[in-house]
Amino acid sequence: MIAALAFYMFAGLAIFAGLMVVVSRNPVHSVLFLILAFFNAAGLFVLLGAEFLAMILIIVYVGAVAVLFLFVVMMLDIDFSELRQGFQQYLPLGGLVGMIVLGELLLVLASGLGRPEMVRIPGSGAVRIAQDVENTAAMGQVLFTDYIYLFQAAGMILLVSMIGAIVLAHRTRPGVKKQIIADQVARTPAESIELIKVETGKGVKM
Amino acid sequence: MDNAVFQWLFAWLPELLQSLVWIVILIMAILLPLLLAVAFLVYFDRKIWAAMQLRRGPNVVGPFGLLQSFADGLKLLFKETLVPAGANKGIFFIAPVVTFSLALIAWAVIPWGEGIVLANLNVGILYIFAISSLGVYGILMAGWASNSRYAFLGALRSAAQMVSYEVSIGFVLVAVLVWVGSLNLSEVVLAQSGGVGSWFVFSHFPLFMIFLISAMAETNRPPFDLPEAEAELVAGYQVEYSSMAFGLFWLGEYTNILLMCAMTSILFFGGWQAPFAFLDFIPGPLWLMIKMAFFFFIFAWVKATVPRYRYDQLMRLGWKVFLPISLFAVVAYGGAALALGRV
Amino acid sequence: MRQALPNLISVYPELLMAVGAMVLLLAGVIRKTPSIDRLSRLSVLLLLGTLLVLWLLFFRLEGRVVTFNGLFVMDAFGLFMKTLVLFGSIAAILISGPYLKEKQISNYEYPILIVLATLGMMMMISANDFMSLYLGLELQSLCLYVLAAINRDRQRSSEAGLKYFVLGALSSGLLLYGISLIYGFAGSTSFDALALAFADGAPTGVVVGIVFVVAGLAFKISAVPFHMWTPDVYEGAPTPVAAFFAAAPKVAAMALVLRVLFGSFPELDEVWRQIIVLLSVLSMTLGAFVAIVQTNIKRLMAYSSIGHIGYALIGVAAGTEMGVQGVLIYMAIYMTMTLGAFVCILNMRSRDGMSEQISDLAGLSERDPMMALALAILMFSLAGIPLLAGFFGKLYVFLAAVNAGLYTLAVFGVVTSVVAAYYYVRIVKIMYFDKPVVTFERPESKSLSMVLTITAAVNSPLSFILIGPLVQWAAVAAGALVP
Repeated sequence: MIAALAFYMFAGLAIFAGLMVVVSRNPVHSVLFLILAFFNAAGLFVLLGAEFLAMILIIVYVGAVAVLFLFVVMMLDIDFSELRQGFQQYLPLGGLVGMIVLGELLLVLASGLGRPEMVRIPGSGAVRIAQDVENTAAMGQVLFTDYIYLFQAAGMILLVSMIGAIVLAHRTRPGVKKQIIADQVARTPAESIELIKVETGKGVKM
Repeated sequence: MDNAVFQWLFAWLPELLQSLVWIVILIMAILLPLLLAVAFLVYFDRKIWAAMQLRRGPNVVGPFGLLQSFADGLKLLFKETLVPAGANKGIFFIAPVVTFSLALIAWAVIPWGEGIVLANLNVGILYIFAISSLGVYGILMAGWASNSRYAFLGALRSAAQMVSYEVSIGFVLVAVLVWVGSLNLSEVVLAQSGGVGSWFVFSHFPLFMIFLISAMAETNRPPFDLPEAEAELVAGYQVEYSSMAFGLFWLGEYTNILLMCAMTSILFFGGWQAPFAFLDFIPGPLWLMIKMAFFFFIFAWVKATVPRYRYDQLMRLGWKVFLPISLFAVVAYGGAALALGRV
Repeated sequence: MRQALPNLISVYPELLMAVGAMVLLLAGVIRKTPSIDRLSRLSVLLLLGTLLVLWLLFFRLEGRVVTFNGLFVMDAFGLFMKTLVLFGSIAAILISGPYLKEKQISNYEYPILIVLATLGMMMMISANDFMSLYLGLELQSLCLYVLAAINRDRQRSSEAGLKYFVLGALSSGLLLYGISLIYGFAGSTSFDALALAFADGAPTGVVVGIVFVVAGLAFKISAVPFHMWTPDVYEGAPTPVAAFFAAAPKVAAMALVLRVLFGSFPELDEVWRQIIVLLSVLSMTLGAFVAIVQTNIKRLMAYSSIGHIGYALIGVAAGTEMGVQGVLIYMAIYMTMTLGAFVCILNMRSRDGMSEQISDLAGLSERDPMMALALAILMFSLAGIPLLAGFFGKLYVFLAAVNAGLYTLAVFGVVTSVVAAYYYVRIVKIMYFDKPVVTFERPESKSLSMVLTITAAVNSPLSFILIGPLVQWAAVAAGALVP
């Protein structure tokens, strides 16, 4: 009973929050609603018994990605009425594409319903995990054993995106003062302090 | 729920409500002492700080000034709540609530003794990590909703700072949990049983240091209190807050500090366990509190002695020092765990 | 029980490349002033080493080896395509030096990005699952986006990068949408499993999925109507990068098309052959007619490459082993032709800087007879004049089409190649019969001349010697793909 209640609460709030992301006029409110949606999705994961995924969803998306997102949205002064200007103009085309995609999905659904049996191919597809394995461990097994190739490939892609960002955006500016901690630490009194005996009335030359 | 007193009091309720009441009682059992402790910790903090500066600190309200925090709280409660013109009202008031409630809910998974834990979550470490990474929202919302430059600058600083230090905290946690082989906090404590020698502070010393320092940065404590650097930003994101809204921020901040103390004790100092077998007669919860008090002293000590970091130095420390070390530590401790047959 | 480590032997070439690329990157980062020349040389060595490992490995492995839980496959088809890709990448790095110096592009990441792109291509070629296919494709594409925009101070280059990125992302989206539809019906993304699942027909949803997948892949090989990005990107991107785009990624993407269509939907050929025929006809037509009005030689090469992809697709449309063999031969020859042509473009350097106008080629035969000769050979070969290599490429795909009963398509191919011959021959005419306007000063570079000599020689009537082994090898490779 409680689980069902919780499900309806999370699911309902997720849909509501998702709707508000699109509808709300203030972009900061949109992002905050997006975060609410993430939370409810995490709640649904917990109900499914995938607590690891739920926590990762919160840590990665809410704790890191959405923070930076919020950061940017707050700093930018986005004028929404300006953004919406093209809306009317592109609505027919966008609507058409949307309808086509919807039609295709319905078609797929319709043709799939007739033969639900053909979905399972033995020895392929989903990887089976023993029942008694905790879901964090199961996740690790799938990710690092069965799909290690994909995991590493994704790593290479991230490396390339990092190289790309540096190649295209990083500029070394001349004349920028940088603090070099090692140099500061390596400084000794012997090389940086000079004791000068000042004679009265004469001063010193620096 | 099997408690005799509880049965006697609430047996007349339906089953479902009974469990609900029981949970509420448990939560209260953690929260009330916690908030009380926070009140005294603020006093403790000020006293340590004063002592290190050869001052007396609060000594007027109550014996030795012990009731100072309550007086302050009461004063805040009776102040008028001000809302700046142009503030985003809803978010302005949600922000302190978010900070405060996030600071409280993290305590659900802290184990106080063998089997004494409100929610023995399998992913306890991740839960704590998730909650602490959310703390930034309260600050960010407060800074933005105040519609003030100082507040906003403070919020931005804080967001960048917390995201930066979370990365190394995350890696430290990964290194520890690989060593333990579980994400459950009770398991982490149990893995350190056998006296002071098997505490992780020795085997994981570099990680302990990184964690402690990052914890200070994560909770915006000096020397990393740039978000509220009073000399530059007046009080950062708190500038526009008054009355109990300010009080909630204040409570949330100290609760978070206490949480970090608890986490340090659990991860590196054996949690509820006694350092030597002959001290086992002291109950577990008490041990945890003693250790938390010890770390709180370190937090206060650092606050009193270390000058504030400059922002670029703070970022450098996080990204160029802690991140590589903790990343390397994950590999090193993972490899060692594998070599020693721990996994 | 799960194995701790999968069978790694068949992935050694890729492993070597990945590790090597990271080592080179590290070397570049640690050095205060990394020399792009030295890193280029090391990258070429790395690619050559990979080639060596690839070949040594092939003699040790027998037949088809699948590893990583069915995600990765190594076979004779892969060997053929990977060899081509590696040669293409090596040539691309070799010909870049003088241009980069001229334009003062000093990002040492340049050769490393090419190596990483090549790694992505090898992963694409060896993909035996839609997931590994997609990741390989993204790895390659990301490198290419960055390479297109690497001359970031020049607006054209940045525009090319951005355009390529946006359209590439769109095509990836189409591809993923198709894959998700197919996965929804089969419950698997593995090519082997898909071939089994659809052995006797497939529901409409899968057909829609195949259409989307083919559309996504058509973007990558720039077949009409998914070619829009090609001319702009070729024109805007630095010339050696455009040369690279025209060579190796095209080959890899074509390998992908073959692998997906023949590997996972062998029994649905009635469905996808129609789409391929359409793409092929449109590409050949557009490539032949639009190229005529071009004045910029890089744009001309872009339309030329679109046309050539159309011819290669004739072989795919045939849907037979012979067709695949034709495609392989065609891609091998196409790569040498296009690389050679681009080297000539790189050589078009006058006192005012790099030139890209076709009219500037006037009278080249007097000023630089050797280059004129080489370019003439390459242009005739691109046109498919008999006795030159390009002719054999066309011959084999047309033969395959005729054997598969696609007479109309074959005739169409012949007609469009006659039209296309017009603009190739026009360049030769300009070089030999027009009055010279500008004098080119060829950049002093041994590697440029070397690549040009080799490509021109391979395309000259000497190709008679080479075509025999190539045909045989392609037959073996095709046999590995089409059982």
